[in-house]
Amino acid sequence: MALLTVTNATVQFGGLIAVNQVSFGAEPGKVRALIGPNGAGKTTLFKAIAGEEQLASGTIHFQDQAIHTLTPHEISARGIRRTFQTGGLFGELTALENVLTGLHTQIPSSFGGLLANTRSAKAVEKAATKKALKLLDLMGIAHVAEQWARDLSGGQKRMVEIVRALATDPPLLLLDEPAVGLAPPVRLELMNIIRRLVDEENIGVILIEHAIEFVMTVSDTIMVLNNGEVIAEGAPEEIRQNKDVLEAYLGR
Amino acid sequence: MKLNRSIFWIFPLLVLALPLVLNQYLQYVVNLILVYILVGVGFNIVVGNLGQLAFSNVAFFGIGAYASGILTTQLGMPWWLTVIPAGLCGALAGCAASIPALRGVRLFYLAIMTLAFGELMRWLYIRTPGLTGGSMGLTVPEPAVFGWMLTTEYHKFYVFLFIVVVVVIATSRLLESRIGRAFLAIKNDENAAAAMGIPTGQYFLLAFALSGFVVGIGGSMYAALVGHLSPEDFDLIQVILHFAIIMVGGLGSLIGSILGSILITATPEVIRHFEWLVGSEEWIFGVSIIVVILFLPRGLSSLLAKVNSIFKDRYYRN
Ligand SMILES: Nc1ncnc2c1ncn2[C@@H]1O[C@H](COP(=O)(O)OP(=O)(O)OP(=O)(O)O)[C@@H](O)[C@H]1O
Ligand SMILES: [Mg+2]
Repeated sequence: MALLTVTNATVQFGGLIAVNQVSFGAEPGKVRALIGPNGAGKTTLFKAIAGEEQLASGTIHFQDQAIHTLTPHEISARGIRRTFQTGGLFGELTALENVLTGLHTQIPSSFGGLLANTRSAKAVEKAATKKALKLLDLMGIAHVAEQWARDLSGGQKRMVEIVRALATDPPLLLLDEPAVGLAPPVRLELMNIIRRLVDEENIGVILIEHAIEFVMTVSDTIMVLNNGEVIAEGAPEEIRQNKDVLEAYLGR
Repeated sequence: MKLNRSIFWIFPLLVLALPLVLNQYLQYVVNLILVYILVGVGFNIVVGNLGQLAFSNVAFFGIGAYASGILTTQLGMPWWLTVIPAGLCGALAGCAASIPALRGVRLFYLAIMTLAFGELMRWLYIRTPGLTGGSMGLTVPEPAVFGWMLTTEYHKFYVFLFIVVVVVIATSRLLESRIGRAFLAIKNDENAAAAMGIPTGQYFLLAFALSGFVVGIGGSMYAALVGHLSPEDFDLIQVILHFAIIMVGGLGSLIGSILGSILITATPEVIRHFEWLVGSEEWIFGVSIIVVILFLPRGLSSLLAKVNSIFKDRYYRN
């Protein structure tokens, strides 16, 4: 069973074709990087997968089921989670509450149960809180659990966002430029975390990233997008050699 | 200063003793505050928690009030039996008011559409004299609870207090749960909220319905309190009043809604109490709102959080 299959996906904004006939797949236990110059259509492709943008043509299947007709929350509930290029965290919620929001679909307390503050409603909330704290701890940021998300440092925000996206153990994770603005040691840490998730938890990752060394180290496959079109695809070493890529993206 | 959690129980208990020290008029003012606590708590759900610039609150208030008024006058129902139906009418109005938002209308566009909804309701109250008494208004009979008449302000006080405590506790439980988190998530970033698997549309509907329910019950109490409803009670001045309550109290803060309704409701009455101030109500009222917002941009609730951290974790955000 294929994890994700994108077939001839096209996204248009009026006359602008932001994503043009793109096809690719994602597999469990693999990191697929998506690189390309600014405005290449990388984020738009993520939005299409997540259901935030409609496809003009083409299909997207997740675990062999069509998802391009679903709404974002349905797609999320199926098991595709993403982080955002900018913003994304809920600033007025604490780090812990952000992760709890990630667990929203796994907190099945009923409306009546919440109103009556029943034992089971409390138990469900408590279990979720415990899980969220454990996840924060695993990423080494348990100490910021009670802080407002908007007061966190850039690196901490990224980590919380990743924890939040991973809280439900999604089979597929979409990361939109997670390394931007991170100090080199934090970057390294993030790289290790991604690799560990992929190798140990067997999740599939699609990674948008400009930091080329980061991408080269962490990815299994790299796909290069330019003007909405795939111009190259292959192992990191192949991409490093590719003439078109050097021209379009690496600018050499 | 060390404060114990028991303050959340002791304070309401002290409130129980108010009728012993208040005259009928001051008791009326306290009852009015109780009405506006629900108005503020309900309004804050949509504006402070869900983060939408929706001003349909006065419509919910009026619909709740007229629902109780009509059910008591036309069907002869005792008032207490009309409280929940008034809340449900408010909730239904909330569902209706959420339609523009569900269709993607936001910010100023949502503001003007929801304001229009309120004005439309006022027009409806005037144009359906058979039910509402039209511009002459509707005289509501003395409220009855289990066969007893609430003849004095003191009687009303205990019934109102009971309702307010129940509704506020229920609201607080919802806002402290995954539901409240979902509201705030939507306020902060709708796309990200949906990406967490939160069905944002359903939560819009829920927030508006909940808001309408709470405010509708406030309306029902208002009908019982004043005994006469007229369309002007639900005009644009009311919108400003409701808005002032949550801004002065603190956006998205339950305790803020309570503090805001106390200040906004009591100030004009207190001013009226001092003869030498009579005639200056409006400007003192206006200036005090400006001063509070200027020095406490996050409302009175932020002051409380500064006084003691015990208020912070539970009732205060930002
Ligand atoms: N909502 C929108 N309406 C119109 N045009 C859009 C919209 N979103 C993106 N675009 C356009 O689509 C193109 C692709 O944008 P996209 O954000 O996908 O690029 P990107 O590859 O993620 O770039 P970056 O590396 O800068 O993040 C750009 O030309 C952009 O201006
Ligand atoms: Mg982008």
